[in-house]
Amino acid sequence: MAIDGTKITHAVMEGSRIRESKGIIPLFGVYLSLFSTQYYNQLSFDFEKRMGPRRQDEAKNLLISAAHECGYATFEGIRNSYEWEQVVVPMIESREDEIRGFAAVAVAFGWGDLEIVEIIPGETLRIRVNDSYEARGYLEKYGRAKSEKCYMLRGVAAAFMDLSYAGDYPDGYSTFAAEEPMCRAKGDLYCEFLATKSHHPRQDD
Amino acid sequence: MHELKLGDELGRKGHQVILGGESVAMHCHHYNINLQKMLEDHLGTEGVRLMMEAAEMANYSGFRAILRQYPRVKTLKSKLEMAAVMFQNCGLGILHFKSIRPSGGVIVSPSNHHVTGWLAKHGRRETAGCHFVRGWIAGALEAIYRQPLGHYAIEETRCKMKRDQECVFEVKAR
Repeated sequence: MAIDGTKITHAVMEGSRIRESKGIIPLFGVYLSLFSTQYYNQLSFDFEKRMGPRRQDEAKNLLISAAHECGYATFEGIRNSYEWEQVVVPMIESREDEIRGFAAVAVAFGWGDLEIVEIIPGETLRIRVNDSYEARGYLEKYGRAKSEKCYMLRGVAAAFMDLSYAGDYPDGYSTFAAEEPMCRAKGDLYCEFLATKSHHPRQDD
Repeated sequence: MHELKLGDELGRKGHQVILGGESVAMHCHHYNINLQKMLEDHLGTEGVRLMMEAAEMANYSGFRAILRQYPRVKTLKSKLEMAAVMFQNCGLGILHFKSIRPSGGVIVSPSNHHVTGWLAKHGRRETAGCHFVRGWIAGALEAIYRQPLGHYAIEETRCKMKRDQECVFEVKAR
């Protein structure tokens, strides 16, 4: 059975209407919030700018790490949730289907139209996105970029591989890293993310 | 209280999630708190200001769009109620606009997403930390009272991240 993204999107949209008494949305094992993509883009791109040209690589790596760690913890919570068990697990036939399920949840969350192009088990994940909110937001506010700008999706792509192929949680964190060789923000037709084994595993490994 | 039907407002345009006509994303406490910690650790007070300003600008724009869609919501009281409903519907928590006037006042939050997220990830902290909520409130009030961005200064005098009983925000017109 293929992963049915529409079914997952429906479950997320329905679940996001549930509030507990504290005004929090507990869904897929995490606390969800809904807020403007303009906010997230301003945080990322102004952070990069305020860190200054000499600290640009550091800023970029911090933004990717924030998303990588988030993606790792978030999707670990998601795949252990009741909702995942009920909605997604019946569609999963292989470990690669788990990654397809993760991508479908990311689409449901409004992160972009993620399409899994290639999975080489344990080695490589290639994701294509025609409309990531990061690339769209950068283009709208600043025009064409000189380098790739989808830091959140880059971290998340690496997290998907960590969770599926890098051993038990939390030991597998940062086994993979992702690049974004193509990005709409710098004039490419679409954004593409390539996650492979990291050459720089975390220091405490 | 005016019934804001999130079911009517929250929808999809293809793969995008749309709220009140604007693009929104669902993110969890891991990401929101990671971003806050990154900003505080690496930019200090400038990072706090960036977080507040980004929330203020985004909510100013988003809440004005919502108000345009509800022209029958005319009184200031009903607009404030609508802001509280909006905050809750977005999973951001609870806000009580207890004593608020165009010149300022006090807003209380017995719970919010950033408090829950911060305490879950990092535990108690020594300083108030609801920078996002400060910006969100400023943007909402500027939209409601038809003031320009930056008109309101919001201070958080008590914060649940410090284990105070509730978060208290003092609002002053600049």
